Amino acid sequence: MRIVMAEDDPLLREGLALLLRAESLDVVAKVGTAEEVLDAIDTHRPDVAILDVRMPPTHTDEGIRAAVEARRRHPRLAVLVLSAYVEQSFATDLLSGGVGGLGYLLKERVGRVEEFLDALRRVADGGTAIDPEVVAQLFTRSRQDTRLERLSPRERDVLALMAEGLGNTAIAERLVVTDGAIHKHIRNIFAKLDLAPTQQVDRRVAAVLHYLENARRP
Amino acid sequence: MATRHDDSSDGRSGPGARESFRETVAGAASAALAALGQLVGGLGTALLALVLLGFLVVTAAACLVGVGLLLAPAVLRALHALADRERTRLARHGVDVVAPEPSPTRLRPALADAATRRAAGWLAVHATFGLLLGLCGLLLPIAAVRDTAFPLLWPLVPEDATSTSLGFGTADSWAEASVVSLLGVGWIAIILGLTPRMARLQARPALRLLTAGPDADLSLRIAELTATRAAALDAHAVELRRIERSLHDGTQNRLVTVTVLLGAARRMVARDPAGADEVLERAQSAAEQALAELRAVARGILPPVLADRGLAGALSGLAAHCAVPCRTDVELPERCAASVEATAYFVVAEALTNIAKHSGATRATVTVRSRGGRLLLRVEDDGRGGADEAGGSGLAGIRRRLAAHDGVLRLTSPPGGPTILEVDVPCGS
Repeated sequence: MRIVMAEDDPLLREGLALLLRAESLDVVAKVGTAEEVLDAIDTHRPDVAILDVRMPPTHTDEGIRAAVEARRRHPRLAVLVLSAYVEQSFATDLLSGGVGGLGYLLKERVGRVEEFLDALRRVADGGTAIDPEVVAQLFTRSRQDTRLERLSPRERDVLALMAEGLGNTAIAERLVVTDGAIHKHIRNIFAKLDLAPTQQVDRRVAAVLHYLENARRP
Repeated sequence: MATRHDDSSDGRSGPGARESFRETVAGAASAALAALGQLVGGLGTALLALVLLGFLVVTAAACLVGVGLLLAPAVLRALHALADRERTRLARHGVDVVAPEPSPTRLRPALADAATRRAAGWLAVHATFGLLLGLCGLLLPIAAVRDTAFPLLWPLVPEDATSTSLGFGTADSWAEASVVSLLGVGWIAIILGLTPRMARLQARPALRLLTAGPDADLSLRIAELTATRAAALDAHAVELRRIERSLHDGTQNRLVTVTVLLGAARRMVARDPAGADEVLERAQSAAEQALAELRAVARGILPPVLADRGLAGALSGLAAHCAVPCRTDVELPERCAASVEATAYFVVAEALTNIAKHSGATRATVTVRSRGGRLLLRVEDDGRGGADEAGGSGLAGIRRRLAAHDGVLRLTSPPGGPTILEVDVPCGS
């Protein structure tokens, strides 16, 4: 897996590179600004770009804007955004262009190396990895949505894990239940959210986007 | 002049009565010097007042024949300008005169305006009594020097010349010349004992007549308070933003680095123990950096030393860490409000940072005094000067912070130096 990395803090940048290289991942470029990372992506054509959100010059949302721009230039590029704190508006900005090959994680998740590598691989394979913290925020903010009110606590848990980007088997492992039980929960979720039974994957994405859409409303 | 101490001591610890006598004398001398400065400054505005009073009388007389009506607005404008100047001058000496709202400059409304009438009254008093007191402030020290030093000059003066500053008496012998010098000592005693009262007397008409009356519209003061409060909240928000940034981009990144390195080390333990140890070493040093940054952030919010050791202790700590040799001289008999002390601390911190960065100075002095419920702070360096407030945002933030406390900041920094930063802020307790 070829990776381009942007993080303005030199110590953290070196630490991340050390970790990724120790896992035999190929870090082809590591830079400190959003501008440099766009150039590096154009030059190296990596599989994944790992971006910090706050970078010079303004230290606000450079990473998010770089991610959106990079995806516009290279639609098949997978992007994993790392952030010091979660901001649901960042998540909706990121995901509004499609959820495939996208990740948005708190920086400290990197320390849980196995889970982080899982998320990285999932994103590289065109999946999604949304931080549980973001999902929790979305849940609290979308309480007023009557359709979400219909979900049982267990179904909420399942939807939260779906939103994080986990597959059915992974969700079953997390919740310590059988695959079959998860299938049942997911069917219920789709029904309660009025999602017609078209293609399975699209409905998963739609369920997640449903949250994001609702979270975007005040 | 004020006594100086070479370190943080606030001068309370002087051994014995001799020291305390010296301090009393030094205190009286410094008060007298300040009073003389104020009196002579008052002489300046009193002379202007005398000239303007002349114009006012002439204009009033000319009004009777009609020509004066054309001159009246200009004279009224001059009157208000002079009153403003007097208020600003007195504010420099710690006498707060709240300005009334702007007064009319057209004749008819001006005649009905209480503030204008009071200003005219002040003009008459200041042009006469104020002038006299100002002259005393100018002549007393001259007379004191002349008479005290008379025995030295005596052999040189012509035979029949008057010997004393009083304008009579002729010294014919050394003994008589020495008596003249005693007279000089008397002048000095008068200066030490009376000038502070004279300065207060000179300022009194302005305090009574140039201030916004009890009936005055306080909307101006309210507008000013609203503006300074907004500026204070602004400065506060900027400060919070700075803290948030140093927490997120500094400390938190260090801690994330720690977790990343720990994660990497755990994965390496089995397959490469030596490498894992090296990574753990890096993790530990990142954690130490996080702690150092956290301390710096906490100190930036409110230095704990301020509560523990007061402003004197906190400032001497700042001075000790300054790259340029710095002397502090703090005489504060009482503690000020915590917010005022913190503001004073940050003023000095900013000033010393600027001195170390830009001034090229070889030494700096920080002086803090309290007088009449006001904290007076002065930071001076012998650097190259040319400090520009527009250059850095640090001073602007400090000015906003001070304005919230009704304080003022003055920066004089001519090219070639020296740079002097003065702050005058109510103690607020």
